[in-house]
Amino acid sequence: MNVAWALLWKDLATEWRSRDRIVAMTVFSFLIIVVFQFAWPNMEPEQIVQLAPGILWVTYVFAAVIGLGRTFSTELENDAMTALALAPGNRGWIFLGKATATWVLITAVQAMAGLVFALFFRVDLTIGLSGTATIVALANVAICSVGTLLSAMSVRSRFREVLLPVLLIPTLIPVLAAAVTGTTATVAGEALALTTLQPLIVIGGIYFILCFLLFDFVLDE
Amino acid sequence: MTNSSSSASPTPATSSSPSGSDRLGLTLKLLGWAILGLLPLYAWTVSTAPIDSVQGMMQKILYVHPPLAYGAYLGFVATAIAGGLFLWQGREVHDQLAIAGAEVGTLFCTLMLITGPIWARGAWGPGNWWVWDARLTLTLLLWFVYLAYMLLRSFTEGDERAARFSSIYGILGVVLIPLNYWIIDLVGGAMHPDNLEFEEESSSLGVGMGLPFFVGNLTLFFVFIYLLVLRWRVGMLRTEAERAEFDSRRI
Amino acid sequence: MGPVRLRGTSIEKRYGRVAALRGIDFEIAPGEAVALLGANGAGKSSLLKILAGLSKPSHGQFGAFVDGGTPPLDRSSLRAAVGYVGHATLLYGELSARENLDFAARLYGQRANQERIDQVLEDFALANVADRRADTFSRGMAQRLAIARAVIHRPGLLLLDEPFTGLDELSAERLSEQLGRLRSEERDAEANGGTPSLVVVTHDPRRATELADRAILLHHGIIRATPSKQHAEEFTADALRSMLGEFAREASHAA
Repeated sequence: MNVAWALLWKDLATEWRSRDRIVAMTVFSFLIIVVFQFAWPNMEPEQIVQLAPGILWVTYVFAAVIGLGRTFSTELENDAMTALALAPGNRGWIFLGKATATWVLITAVQAMAGLVFALFFRVDLTIGLSGTATIVALANVAICSVGTLLSAMSVRSRFREVLLPVLLIPTLIPVLAAAVTGTTATVAGEALALTTLQPLIVIGGIYFILCFLLFDFVLDE
Repeated sequence: MTNSSSSASPTPATSSSPSGSDRLGLTLKLLGWAILGLLPLYAWTVSTAPIDSVQGMMQKILYVHPPLAYGAYLGFVATAIAGGLFLWQGREVHDQLAIAGAEVGTLFCTLMLITGPIWARGAWGPGNWWVWDARLTLTLLLWFVYLAYMLLRSFTEGDERAARFSSIYGILGVVLIPLNYWIIDLVGGAMHPDNLEFEEESSSLGVGMGLPFFVGNLTLFFVFIYLLVLRWRVGMLRTEAERAEFDSRRI
Repeated sequence: MGPVRLRGTSIEKRYGRVAALRGIDFEIAPGEAVALLGANGAGKSSLLKILAGLSKPSHGQFGAFVDGGTPPLDRSSLRAAVGYVGHATLLYGELSARENLDFAARLYGQRANQERIDQVLEDFALANVADRRADTFSRGMAQRLAIARAVIHRPGLLLLDEPFTGLDELSAERLSEQLGRLRSEERDAEANGGTPSLVVVTHDPRRATELADRAILLHHGIIRATPSKQHAEEFTADALRSMLGEFAREASHAA
């Protein structure tokens, strides 16, 4: 557990000092939102409410892919990846630390992107904000779990920029489906029901446990 | 590539006990005979099946498209199980099965995605080459997982690492199958309003369609197993040959 | 952590077309220093990874033992006993020297002990740059920090993977001295219960004779020779070099 905290602190500290991931993800999200805005310039408010969840989640997923691609970038320099592989104990803790750090970063970026989105698309933020935030936080558990595992696998490949999205996106389809359905409900003002959250909880749980256990095999040589 | 001139015998891959590929070869012979018998039966039952009044000849895709599912889905299940065994024991034979499952599975999955639209067009009329019906959607998602699996194998450096990583992805991917099924069931209706549910074929089969459907399922199932074992055997032969060649090489 | 004893019997490491190790036997006594020599592709890295607990042999028995105990260490415990120095530094550029050491200590399950870190920083002449980011260090300083990182958790087995690569003559000399000192430091020897065992992979026979008492010469995945200091004539840099050259010539004849 100590190891997880150490990794969490290390990742957040290095991110704070270099800010490369957070800047890349944030800029990318803003750009996508702007592109969407120009793709549908004259939307009526009812149309916006219909399309908003989809646009938001497309933005979130692609920004997450960008961020996850760099999960192990600090480990690549100086071969620090080997240092992680050499660590004793259950390597699942390393996974936990890494995935949590990414969760923090992605959630922060998504919060900012959500604000920009509400601004540009003139969406009323007071409707269903807490519900939407819960959905986002939950979906991110699934995204960060499977993303961290796959990032560790693709980081040593020459083709890592292509490989990660190809591996990751099929696994994110169920998350996306559940998240968009949930967000559609919250944005329309419905109260957040457990049945809406249930798919995300199940997927998040399955992905987290599976990836925690499988991570050990990724670090071997 | 020739061995050195002196008689360096390969290590006991060709000793008295049957090698992996020998055992597979026997299985293949048995399967081959079964298929030889089934294929003409298949062709005959399909051709003599009644022609649907509404859809015409196109309807006969019913005897091809759903049976392909065995190959498409069981292929990945084989890959995942073999991958799990490989992670546990590290034996190459399991990895070879995983590769076989992936390659043959991709073939069947691709065929499903080709015959699916043909059937859709026939069943729902012009303009309906693609429908977001539950099974077709699920198969499309599976196809992307196959593609990802293959790319992961190709793009990972190091044979053993590639085997290990694909085993991991195989396990992830196989979990996706029931997960997607569940999610499509749960929220699919909201996403694609014309979403057709997972139908039970047998309930929609008319008179005289039961037999060709059954034979079709049986035949394509055997064809899948045959191709799987065949590809597995090829992989095993190659592994054994490489090993023998390496061992016999003098320094 | 006491010095580690290593033993391997009929160790093979092969997959598909590649057979990195084709049946080797070795025994490394606690506190012994051994050099692994061989051409590229001889199997040195594969063997080192097995010794480090990073990979499993495909066949054969491998065991690491500590404090004279009989059940061999499992791979996780073996990793806890290993201090690894490679030609990459394994450091995080954005973190300071102190933070790098702290992180490494935590990875090895040790609560951050500032005294120990301060001591190590001093031992490696890094005390005055303790709070500077590692990416501002010179190559020599970074190398020292890399070694500090490797010993912070008092390993019983030091594994060095071509640590002299890319170093100029002066830095290589310094490094060799430092490594020699490391093993004979009395203070550490008391705390550990003995000098840590050492395995150094190198293709430079001179460094091998400087650092080790014995050499294992690998070629195409098998052990061809094990010269040791006890027979001084075969344990000189020249002798080692000519043996390696011989193996290489055999290979080109047979091809």
